Amino acid sequence: MAERGEADFNDILDDWFIESLKTYKDLHVYQLEHPTQVIEWTSRKTVCVAGYSSSTNEILELQLPLKLFADENKGLCAERDFKVVHGGFTEGPVRCLRHVPGTRCVVTNDGLTSDLQVWTVGGDDSDVIRRTGSVAGRKTRKKKSDSEGGSRIAARHSSQVLHGAQSDDIQLTQLTSGQILYTPEITSSNPLSSLQFVSDDVFLAGCYAAGGASSGSFIRVSSSGLAEISDLRNPGAAVSRAQLSVQSRHCNPGDVKVSWAPALNDCIAVSGFSGLVQIYNTSGWGAELQEVQPLFEHRGHAVSSQSYEGDVFVTSQLWHPERPRTLLSAASDGSVHVWDWVDQSDADR
Amino acid sequence: MPEIKVTPLGESGAGRGAQLHTIYVFIYVYMCINMCISVYSCVYVGAGQDVGRSCILVSIGGKNIMLDCGMHMGYNDDRRFPDFSYITQNGRLTEFLDCVIISHFHLDHCGALPFMSEMVGYDGPIYMTHPTKAICPILLEDFRKITVDKKGETNFFTSQMIKDCMKKVVPLNLHQTVQVDDELEIKAYYAGHVLGAAMVQIKVGSESVVYTVKSTYATTIRDSKRCRERDFLKKVHESIERGGKVLIPVFALGRAQELCILLETFWERMNLKAPIYFSTGLTEKANHYYKLFITWTNQKIRKTFVQRNMFEFKHIKAFDRSYADNPGPMVVFATPGMLHAGQSLQIFKKWAGHEKNMVIMPGYCVQGTIGHKILNGQRKLELEGSVCVSQLEVKLQLEVKLQVEYMSFSAHADAKGIMQLIRMAEPRNVLLVHGEAVKMEFLKGKIEQEFSIDCHMPANGETATVQTNPSVPVDISLNLLKREMALGGPLPDPKRPRTMHGTLIMKDNSLKLVSSEQALKDLGLNEHQLRFTCRVFSVFSPVLLQVFSVFSPVLLQVFSVFSPVLLQVFSVFSPVLLQVFSVFSPVLLQVQVYLTLSLLLSLLKGFSVQLLPDGTVMVESILIKVSSSPEDPDSKTLLLSWSYQDEDLGSFLSSLLKKGLPAALC
Repeated sequence: MAERGEADFNDILDDWFIESLKTYKDLHVYQLEHPTQVIEWTSRKTVCVAGYSSSTNEILELQLPLKLFADENKGLCAERDFKVVHGGFTEGPVRCLRHVPGTRCVVTNDGLTSDLQVWTVGGDDSDVIRRTGSVAGRKTRKKKSDSEGGSRIAARHSSQVLHGAQSDDIQLTQLTSGQILYTPEITSSNPLSSLQFVSDDVFLAGCYAAGGASSGSFIRVSSSGLAEISDLRNPGAAVSRAQLSVQSRHCNPGDVKVSWAPALNDCIAVSGFSGLVQIYNTSGWGAELQEVQPLFEHRGHAVSSQSYEGDVFVTSQLWHPERPRTLLSAASDGSVHVWDWVDQSDADR
Repeated sequence: MPEIKVTPLGESGAGRGAQLHTIYVFIYVYMCINMCISVYSCVYVGAGQDVGRSCILVSIGGKNIMLDCGMHMGYNDDRRFPDFSYITQNGRLTEFLDCVIISHFHLDHCGALPFMSEMVGYDGPIYMTHPTKAICPILLEDFRKITVDKKGETNFFTSQMIKDCMKKVVPLNLHQTVQVDDELEIKAYYAGHVLGAAMVQIKVGSESVVYTVKSTYATTIRDSKRCRERDFLKKVHESIERGGKVLIPVFALGRAQELCILLETFWERMNLKAPIYFSTGLTEKANHYYKLFITWTNQKIRKTFVQRNMFEFKHIKAFDRSYADNPGPMVVFATPGMLHAGQSLQIFKKWAGHEKNMVIMPGYCVQGTIGHKILNGQRKLELEGSVCVSQLEVKLQLEVKLQVEYMSFSAHADAKGIMQLIRMAEPRNVLLVHGEAVKMEFLKGKIEQEFSIDCHMPANGETATVQTNPSVPVDISLNLLKREMALGGPLPDPKRPRTMHGTLIMKDNSLKLVSSEQALKDLGLNEHQLRFTCRVFSVFSPVLLQVFSVFSPVLLQVFSVFSPVLLQVFSVFSPVLLQVFSVFSPVLLQVQVYLTLSLLLSLLKGFSVQLLPDGTVMVESILIKVSSSPEDPDSKTLLLSWSYQDEDLGSFLSSLLKKGLPAALC
């Protein structure tokens, strides 16, 4: 007789898979050799992931399974696997990774210092991701103990990278020349938790909470699950708020990630509190704080992780830029899922 | 110079537009000096629908082995067979080849086997695993039928040839060493990929080569098995829900069993009523094959078979031809797998015209079959036979309106698998042979980093030279072995490698390790001993000396009698005593010397220390003596003497004495 524990685990997993027949259109479950904290699009069909152990790590560019993109002849395409198209090695952990739009470069930060590493992906028929440069961060650290988080990075056109570890050491650097183009006049020094270009000329720096901006709105989520949305024109005042239904584990504020859906109005994805990725529809939120329930919960990581190392938690999530309900998510056990969920309220059964 | 040569035979598949390339990972466990590998061309294999052929010749230790003997599926003429004229001009291969090894049943690995053994001529052994031996003839026969009967080709092997060829097959069990002859050994390992696929280790003397099934997917990260199964269930469920019929063409065995169990469990859980049928042809063969291949199946199937007979399913029944016309939803598993003949084709013809129906192809379809055509998107098929319509012969056509789903369930090696393979094989070097321009530099770097071994990546036409440390076998004299074992325990002990001393005698082609005395005797040489003596200076006051020289014989006597005890005492109390004595030092010079030596004792724990009657201290076989210098009778010196064998200890003592003497005495 199989041990009770394993049988239960398999049953729960089987249940979830059976349930997924109705709740997901597409579902792909992968296991990376090493867990990643970052997933970033580097092209329409490729993403970059990287390890975060304290010594050498791999940085990989993965091509998404072709089946996902074969819209018409989906049935005839059996390609369900991720393909590693490029790979490289880093000397330390990768806590933040950004693709520089319009180039084949990515910029990373190890979460320990404020310096950035610049990488070139492939080129010359090679399948290697090579370190091709670095960008020094501004050293305004007064206290040695300030090592929380490392730098946040945002990148925009013309190889310009906005980065900083604290609110007072943000700078805009031109990658190709190394020239510092701009440094905002901010006097207060707080550790940055997010940095994002809202438009060509406007960027948003968030401290102490996970944040995400979309056209016009900005949302921040605290480590207790309190979410507040504000208008970008008046970021201080909250337009609506809600208490997300999260069971906070001893949550590292740096693990919480929130992002707006690029192709689904008013929807956000939240992760980092546990092994779940939650989708919320914020259109119903009001100025008064109330508890809200997620529109959808992806339980894949929690259910399929044989958590012998303590609880698994989701390290990163990423929306597909065009497909409205497709997401990628990565967890601390090395799993990476690609899923296209079904909105139950829409489904006419 | 011994070398291992590897040559893929035949034309390359260049220009076939394959998206994924083949990587043959050759891992050499033992290597010889200056090995040269010439790679003339590489074979391409595409994803899913295999295009290309595998047939490799390996020359190792004077033996010639053919690895796989595949057919190129893209050609319809002689180009589809490997070019055996490379091996030998005069036809028959029996004298040249020591054996043939087939890795798995795919036609691009075994398709040319009957051609090679019966039409070109080879009578030696053909090795393959049991499942491969069972499946190969079926596939070969199917393929032969299509090629000859349908396409009307000549110059192809016959059914009898397939049978004669299979008679030469010697089946392999996993992890069992097979002696092909008294020098050549082979051993099969589990390879995943498809049922019966094996990696083979070929060993001749101290050289060996491991051949893996093509690891095309070294750079993939595979979607989980459960997701694939989920997709399968989803498709079946959707069809059944809308009242459609689902046809699943399968081979005689393979994934069919697993899919059945999957459906059965699903039906049970969802309380579904639609019937599932299993064609009778499958039933008979499957039970038989199950018994042979249970070791190759996974845990789930094994568990099920233990609990009940495979065909006692609640929801799955035997199929009857007439059921195909029944109304309503149903699922049918039928043979053959590529829809080219038999029951599965009949059912397909009946169901193809309705959009609600579905056919799920669980893999691999040979070119020319209907399976292959519909997987390529063809929606109109020409069938055999024709019909007379007003004195005109009209070819029968079939419109394909049902849904076609391609689900690949075969297990390929992936990036993780490659690393595991290398970890397990522990090679000294790895060679990646690839087909396309894109270099596997990342994989090469990964292997080099993770295992700290060299990884080579020769391009087409390039020769890779691998330098290694050879394993040199040496005979050892029994006496020497016994002596070593007496000293330190039984040999050989793989957990504790030991250094031993001996003499290596190289005579003709043999290498022998003997003891030094034996070597001297054998070679008729005299032994010479080397002895080193050095002086450690210490300067003492001449006045004290006078005093002491009077008393020293007496003291010496005293000390020589009591010395063992005293030495003990001194070694324990020496630091204190030293202090004390250094105050009273003038009188007790000799004592100081002894104290020094007892200090030494405490530093020399573990070595045997003796005091000789003449006042010499002996540490192991090293002598330490206090004497007066001949040039200057007032100063005393320490003499240190040791033989060559005790060089290490001697130099250690020398530096100890020079530096270790307390300041009070120097």
